[in-house]
Amino acid sequence: MIIQTALLVGLVLFSALAILLKDLLKSAISLAAASLLLGIVFFRMGAPYAGVFEISVVAGLITVLFILTIALTNTGEEVRESRLVNIVFPLFFVVFIIIDALVMKGLLQKIPALPSAPETGTFGDILWKGRTLDLVGQIAVILAGVFSVLALFRKRDKHD
Amino acid sequence: MIILFVALPLVVAGVLPLIGKISRRVLPDLLANAALLFLLVYAVAAGRPLIANGPVLQQISWLGEAVNLPLALDGFSLFMLMAVSLVGLCVGLFSIDYMEHYGAKANYYALLLIMIAGMNGLVLATDFFNIYIFLEVAAVASYSLVAFGLGHDELEAAFKYLMLSVVASAAILVSIAVIFGMTGSLSLPAVARALQELNAGPVVGISAALFIMGFGLKAALIPFHAWLPDAHPSAPAPISAVLSGLLIKVSGVYALTRIFLNVFGLTPALSTVLLYLGAISMVGAAFLALGQKDIKRMLAYSSISQVGYIVLGIGLGTPLGIAGGLFHLFNHALAKGLLFLTSGSLQQATGTRDLSEMGGLAKRMPFTAATNLIGSLSIAGVPPLNGFWSKLLIIIALVQAGHPVFAVIAVLASVLTLWYYLLIQRQAFFGKLNEKWAAVKEAPFWMTASTVLLAFLCVAIGVLFSLTIKTWVQPAAGVLAEGVQAVIRSWGL
Amino acid sequence: MTNTWFLYVFFSAALIGAGLYALLAKRNLIKLFIAIEVISKGVSLLLLATGFAKGNVLVAQALVVTFIVIEVSLVATALAIIINIYRHTKSLDIRKLAKLKG
Repeated sequence: MIIQTALLVGLVLFSALAILLKDLLKSAISLAAASLLLGIVFFRMGAPYAGVFEISVVAGLITVLFILTIALTNTGEEVRESRLVNIVFPLFFVVFIIIDALVMKGLLQKIPALPSAPETGTFGDILWKGRTLDLVGQIAVILAGVFSVLALFRKRDKHD
Repeated sequence: MIILFVALPLVVAGVLPLIGKISRRVLPDLLANAALLFLLVYAVAAGRPLIANGPVLQQISWLGEAVNLPLALDGFSLFMLMAVSLVGLCVGLFSIDYMEHYGAKANYYALLLIMIAGMNGLVLATDFFNIYIFLEVAAVASYSLVAFGLGHDELEAAFKYLMLSVVASAAILVSIAVIFGMTGSLSLPAVARALQELNAGPVVGISAALFIMGFGLKAALIPFHAWLPDAHPSAPAPISAVLSGLLIKVSGVYALTRIFLNVFGLTPALSTVLLYLGAISMVGAAFLALGQKDIKRMLAYSSISQVGYIVLGIGLGTPLGIAGGLFHLFNHALAKGLLFLTSGSLQQATGTRDLSEMGGLAKRMPFTAATNLIGSLSIAGVPPLNGFWSKLLIIIALVQAGHPVFAVIAVLASVLTLWYYLLIQRQAFFGKLNEKWAAVKEAPFWMTASTVLLAFLCVAIGVLFSLTIKTWVQPAAGVLAEGVQAVIRSWGL
Repeated sequence: MTNTWFLYVFFSAALIGAGLYALLAKRNLIKLFIAIEVISKGVSLLLLATGFAKGNVLVAQALVVTFIVIEVSLVATALAIIINIYRHTKSLDIRKLAKLKG
């Protein structure tokens, strides 16, 4: 439990860092570190497949996409963020965490829940046989993403 | 084989770009529209007999193994499927001519078909997470379709739409997680049954609030409407028609209605919230529409207002109110689709969307003027067109249920609607012909044909309103009016 | 719901809150998108934690896996839009995108 909490704290810290850092590249790498920690958290919760997906896809693929975009948009001028935001954010965050903790303490034992049936089968069974429609949806969303990128990067003369 | 509603558009979408490489013009158009036509015919012809004995559940066997595809077709789903197929087909036909100068038509049709597949899947889904997935499928396709023209405005609108939409999706997922935590299940009938046993008022309230935030943003209810007046005008005209006519209703109103009426059960508190949200959208957006010069922007605000009507009717919870709301959903899909398509014809002919620059176009574009007039009168609620009957039903239902104030507000909003639509008609079509437009021609064949078809339907449904209500709206309203029992009893998977 | 669930929800809420604040306050388009990624992490943590608390880890895993796939498509589309915006305005500042009045 201690390790889990430490990992979660690290996750939140790296995410906050990703938001605060000025350099986009360092932001993306901080985000990847956060994903890595999240993947380990998943693994320790008994969800190895989710952990693997999180690490390989989010910390890997999405970070690569981010770095690609940062590289392609690098020749312009810097976007000046409001300096106020960088001061307010940590304050806001600390206040939010305190409120968050109080709310959680207040809600302890107060959310009713039905006990659920024990799980049967392996992950493969559940994903392929139990939630097959999810897979159809995944194919559809991947097709949508691929065609979107193709459409948005097509060679054409300007319209309007 | 109700899986066809999802599988067919996806498969055709998958092969379209390959076919687009072979034949740039005829084959992609033909294939895409044939698929849409098939869906429409299937919904209309095969739908009603299928559900004559209660909802149909899908159990198919793939390569010898029974595959679990929990899709259910009942009166409400069939009703939505029909609306989607009808407007989808007309949009597909319209796009044959309109999308010529955008390029990459095969890609466009593929994205359109994926959006339709997503909407169909959402309507047929019986599981919270499946609803979310198909919602995202349609949404991802819509982001790039809004940005399809690759101009500055389109990209800006698409970006803002995307940002807000992702926040909505996050809210929906948090709510789904809360429901999963409470009931341990994600399928609609199981959750409905479990919520009956649990007495979890406040937590269901939190979940409902998050759903209202999420689906309300998708449906563009005020105060979650900020993305729509930018996104819908910037998209190419046929996509505006699909977004305003279908997407906000399927991913917003349908999902909200299905969950609130069939799973949570419509408590008086929920009903009141929906009534107020509907009324605020109805009136607020009508006022906002008044000052607009851009014809598509005005139509976009009008969509927000009409969705307010629909939510007002459904939020009432009485059978008459639900029937009125659903009928208005269908009529608005037809009429708003029609209006966005004619605005596309106008934009293609004159190159502008600014009303103050147009004038007297009725002489040069008679079909467009006539169909636009029919669409406007339909939404404004002028008899004997279809919009009149649906608005009348909602107003009568409001009075019957003891909300005379809301009824009066609805009537006033209707008058406002009529006013600003007649303004468009006068500014764009009637009056003196602006010399700039002396040489414009009527819109090309498919564009005119699709708008004429929609206008014809508006008139026909208006005249045959009782037949339409009996065969299509009543089964749908019946399912919703039964409330939680409809899902628990007959969807037991 | 068990106490560990509330621990996870605490962290998940922190992530979502940070992401939401950043969405409102930041101006760089890519930073805004990183904020959305942070929100997604919060949501997937919440989903898996809920499954863990109910003992339904396998179902929750399936949900998280599907959610990650959807997220990839979303990121690809959004970054394509951002790159196109950059080509138009040569800047990643959201204040340059104020043409439409909303």
